[in-house]
Amino acid sequence: MRVSIIVIALLFAAGSALSGDGKQYGKQLTVKEVTKISDIMAKPDRYNGKRVLVEGGIVDVCAKRGCWMKIASDKEFESITFKVDDGVIIFPMDAKGKTARGEGVISVKKYSVEQQIESGKKHAKEENEEFDPSSVKGPKTVILLKGEGAVID
Amino acid sequence: MIKWRKWNNVLHRDIGYAVVALTIVYAVSGIAVNHMADWNPNYRQQKEALELQPVQGETTQEMKQHVMRQLHLADEPKSVFRPDPETIQLFYPGQTYTVDVPTGQGIVESVRTRPVLYEFNQLHLNSVKKGWTWFADLYAVALIFVAVTGMFVLKGKNGITGRGAWFTIMGALVPAGIWIWYQYF
Repeated sequence: MRVSIIVIALLFAAGSALSGDGKQYGKQLTVKEVTKISDIMAKPDRYNGKRVLVEGGIVDVCAKRGCWMKIASDKEFESITFKVDDGVIIFPMDAKGKTARGEGVISVKKYSVEQQIESGKKHAKEENEEFDPSSVKGPKTVILLKGEGAVID
Repeated sequence: MIKWRKWNNVLHRDIGYAVVALTIVYAVSGIAVNHMADWNPNYRQQKEALELQPVQGETTQEMKQHVMRQLHLADEPKSVFRPDPETIQLFYPGQTYTVDVPTGQGIVESVRTRPVLYEFNQLHLNSVKKGWTWFADLYAVALIFVAVTGMFVLKGKNGITGRGAWFTIMGALVPAGIWIWYQYF
């Protein structure tokens, strides 16, 4: 009986190590210098594959899985999507309006009209939504920050 | 009863009691996050339409003031964003106002955490990190211990050498069968 009480006491004692301020998401930030989002958006090919740290207000968060957030650029009408693999980091929906510092690798992908239609149809089927191929107006460049770690506020 | 079985049963019972609370937390959260495609298990999201006058102002600052006046918002927003020239967004804690500048039509989106479920999910999905990672690992080990010792609680025809074996095999065959089905069919 005494042994089992000790085992259980140890189990609960481990919980005393519980902590966490909830501000750090994913890995620790390693890049010290902030890259302007406007610079990345202006010359995406120059930053493709490079590790960067960006900073800005959070203007949107994935409503389903919290697997991405949009960080506002230093210039108007611009933002960058900070995307993480599903489940690796879950960004809180109430983070909108707060400031984020996010580190990751820039990914630039170019999609033809055909590729966008194919992917739009697939996405619509998965989400049980309608897709209008005429909504695709031309080739598109998608600039993502493949996120690894972030600090919010 | 030989001595090892006595200890097996005592530890199975007492560690079993200790893991009850967290098992319920993980199970409830497990059901909630299993259906993530259909709902957000952490937040309750509410959207309401807004009918304002077309937003006036040359600068974002002026537009923000005009929207705030129309909505009778006294407090400054945490931040303001213009995703495109025709839209302005004002961010308050838990609320986002999105207004179409030329028409004044907009949406206010409120986000609230789901009580209890939010906390359960934070623990289950290890959002806490740090010490919780180790505690959750310890819990998982305790759960394995409870499962394994559970097989040896009884001896005889209802034990693992009799009826218990069939139930244990059935319990293993279900996930194995489903995995094989999804892998090859």
